[in-house]
Amino acid sequence: MGRVLNIAPVSRIEGHAKIAIHLDDDGNVAETFLHVQSLRGFEKFIEGRPAEEVPRIVNRICGICPWMHHLASNKAVDGAFGVTPTPVGYKLREMCQVMAHISDKILHFFFLAAPDFVLGPDADYSVRNVMGLVKAAPELARQVVRMRQLGQKMLEGFAGRAIHPVAGVVGGFAKPMIEEERKELLCGARELLDFSRYALDFAITDVFAKYMDAFSDLGGIKTGFLGMVDREDGSLRLYDGKLRLMKHDASFVDFEGDDYTEYLAEHVVPWGYSKMVYAKSWDEGFDMTLTAPRGIYRANTLARINVCDKISTPGAQAALEEFRSLFGRPAQQTLLYHYARLIELIYSCERTIEILEWPEITGSDVRAKVVPKAGRGVGLVEAPRGTLIHDYTTDENGCITSANMIVGTTHNIAPMNMSVKRAASALIKNGVYSEGILNQVEMAVRAYDP
Amino acid sequence: MGVTAAMEWLGSCSGCEIAFLNIGEDLVPLITETLDLVHAPLLMDHKYFGQCGEGVTLEIPDAVIGIVTGGVNNREHLTVLRQMRKKCRLLIALGTCATHGGIPALMNGQDQQASWQAIFKTVSTDPGAEIPEVEVPPPLDRVYACDEKVKIDMQLPGCPPNPELIAELLVAIVEGRSPVLPGKSVCDTCPARREGRSVVGKVKRFIENVEFDPGEPVSGMRCLLEQGFMCMGPVTAGGCNGGEGVPACISARVPCRGCFGPVRKNGNQLLDMMNGLASNGIDFKSVVDRRSILRFSGAHGRLRPLKKRVAKE
Amino acid sequence: MDFEPKIIVFCCNWCSYAAADLAGINRMQYPHNVWIIRLMCSGMVHPEFIMDALSQGADGVMVLGCHLGECHYRDGNYRALDRSDMVVELLEDFGYEQERFHLAWISSQEADKFVEVVSGMVNRIKKLGPAGG
Ligand code: SF4
Ligand code: SF4
Ligand code: SF4
Ligand code: FES
Repeated sequence: MGRVLNIAPVSRIEGHAKIAIHLDDDGNVAETFLHVQSLRGFEKFIEGRPAEEVPRIVNRICGICPWMHHLASNKAVDGAFGVTPTPVGYKLREMCQVMAHISDKILHFFFLAAPDFVLGPDADYSVRNVMGLVKAAPELARQVVRMRQLGQKMLEGFAGRAIHPVAGVVGGFAKPMIEEERKELLCGARELLDFSRYALDFAITDVFAKYMDAFSDLGGIKTGFLGMVDREDGSLRLYDGKLRLMKHDASFVDFEGDDYTEYLAEHVVPWGYSKMVYAKSWDEGFDMTLTAPRGIYRANTLARINVCDKISTPGAQAALEEFRSLFGRPAQQTLLYHYARLIELIYSCERTIEILEWPEITGSDVRAKVVPKAGRGVGLVEAPRGTLIHDYTTDENGCITSANMIVGTTHNIAPMNMSVKRAASALIKNGVYSEGILNQVEMAVRAYDP
Repeated sequence: MGVTAAMEWLGSCSGCEIAFLNIGEDLVPLITETLDLVHAPLLMDHKYFGQCGEGVTLEIPDAVIGIVTGGVNNREHLTVLRQMRKKCRLLIALGTCATHGGIPALMNGQDQQASWQAIFKTVSTDPGAEIPEVEVPPPLDRVYACDEKVKIDMQLPGCPPNPELIAELLVAIVEGRSPVLPGKSVCDTCPARREGRSVVGKVKRFIENVEFDPGEPVSGMRCLLEQGFMCMGPVTAGGCNGGEGVPACISARVPCRGCFGPVRKNGNQLLDMMNGLASNGIDFKSVVDRRSILRFSGAHGRLRPLKKRVAKE
Repeated sequence: MDFEPKIIVFCCNWCSYAAADLAGINRMQYPHNVWIIRLMCSGMVHPEFIMDALSQGADGVMVLGCHLGECHYRDGNYRALDRSDMVVELLEDFGYEQERFHLAWISSQEADKFVEVVSGMVNRIKKLGPAGG
């Protein structure tokens, strides 16, 4: 047995992981692992808590997408208590959720991923980062920081907190929106929409045009896809809808989140704390072999862009059409996650504006009457990192008796492992590797925004 | 060249890091001029085992300022924290997880082994799954705040801390002065109208919205505790509003849940809250799930698994 | 090895501490597991003292004051009594058995009662085992 290269920590991603590349005696890749390092036990320590408190506890699962956990949790508690949020409450939640997608996508693309493209994957690590970006492209960097901040400030101004929110409540929302707030938010959302169009153009000309060919196959694998679509017209949805599980040949099934255990299951490996979700309904088991994977699908931006029939807002729809004409459906190249991310960025801005222009958004009936009781509820949203599922059971006092969660990233753990193996095996030959090569292996992971 | 700084996350959710990035326009000069980041996994690619992963011991470069977020939950966190202590002249614990355990320390109130087992045996996991043990850091017996394991020079709680205060702390250190940080409770910074007595002798669950006029600022709203909601403002360190303005949750018209930890570093939020309720004539037994009042400060041995009542002889 | 518990006993200056003192003067035997902390009045024992004692290594905590009506600060021991209700309730929240706390009234002359209650406490805690476990 040859040596092991430990890329630890995997950096410029939003969680804790390391990559281990095991080389054989000839210096070729024998095996690779993406080890997920952290486990905290949220499912267990929310047991016994009054369910209405849980949305403000589980947001601490992730500080990058706290709104997603907050709202999936609220939806699950709605379900358990059998309440339907008021229409205004529903829309306020959705608006916050899509707005949270905006800052997240700007963060991921520009702060974390862009340094690889703008400075180059082989640039020295001391400059291949957002600080280097500031020096190499100061105007762009300032603009990016400002736009990300604008998104965060809008959320904070309206909902009190941007990180670890509290304003979503079982039955709806904690406060109505007043006209002044609406005007201010609209103003900000329009500015963000302009920026998102610019971001996609920038990426198409300065990033994809340069790197797509060189990296078209980096970490490339062939899998199915999972994402949320509108119940009626199959268009892209982030806050609410049915799930669509697509095979690599583009055939698909649609199902309601409540039935998730019939379609999805979680594989546990002894070498990582993260479970690996796979398509149980395909009845082929779980296998990460590169040549003949079984049960493997992907989630997150590329998946959603692949599974939806269309996008309900004009700018994003135009971008989707162009994307499909170039890459087909489903598109498989891993680096296209970035492209899909920027299409969703446009959708998120457009959808925010759409909601703000809804005449009743300033209505005062934001929360339905809530009576704690025994029940079960499954709450789903599309998080930046993939479909997020919270499943709670409550007792007659409305306290949690059991909880199960499938977190966005876990859908992509198996595919990421495969992409790492694919990238490492293609790049490392006969014991020859460099910092730049190892960074490219990481880039295959970074695309997934784990 | 700025002052060298290293950042590390232990059992963190990354929210503290996002709060750091939310510093806003001052962020750019802060990370490019004031500070010289030498290690920060979220933002840059310095690796523990050399840039090609060939080393065997975990190394972090020397730095003047060290910032750690998250509590200490497993062996790797402990190794990283000790390495940070060794390499950084001034070590800051940032965020309530690092200072008081934070939400993950809710696990301290449970049987950890049984919980972990259950997590790998759910309605959706493959049958026969076991707790992973290969190449993953083994857990410690409980979740610790950073100062239970190494000496910490400065603490800034908050879940997450307020970005303005993070900036103030770092800039003050670089300028060699003491930072201006709020030392009072959330209530001290809250403009809600207080009349000095509670309307009811009980606290109610937050299943209905508070009473307020949306067109009016918070100063026109009656204190939430007086409205009968459990609001932890009295027993929670202020600062979530950056020192001025309305406490964050209160501005969303939602009661405080104590995310900045106790007012005094070693304060006990549960005891203080119950004492406070009792002395205001509010029945402390009306609080459902009292233990979750320790949801942000369960390290330092505060939160422990439940012991059942022993039968009387 | 036998478990030797550590018991913290808060005594008020005027009655219970005097009783403990008297027990000493009379060379009465009482368990060495007892660590006495003298305060002016049982009413001064904030619940935090009790929880802190337990979290820092004590296995049991006692508060001993004057008989009701005999507190030298009028109603200090009534306050102690009111609080004890809450302390007992909160002990469970903090993950301790209720038996780890005990409140009793002892006059300055009742050296024998002092010995009796602390010995009783030591025996109960021995059965219960360490608090840190
Ligand atoms: S203190 Fe809060 S924001 Fe910071 S790491 Fe902990 S949970 Fe996340
Ligand atoms: S109890 Fe809550 S609402 Fe009342 S003053 Fe304090 S923080 Fe404000
Ligand atoms: S009001 Fe309380 S819970 Fe809310 S942010 Fe401030 S300290 Fe945290
Ligand atoms: S002085 Fe003894 S109880 Fe008050």
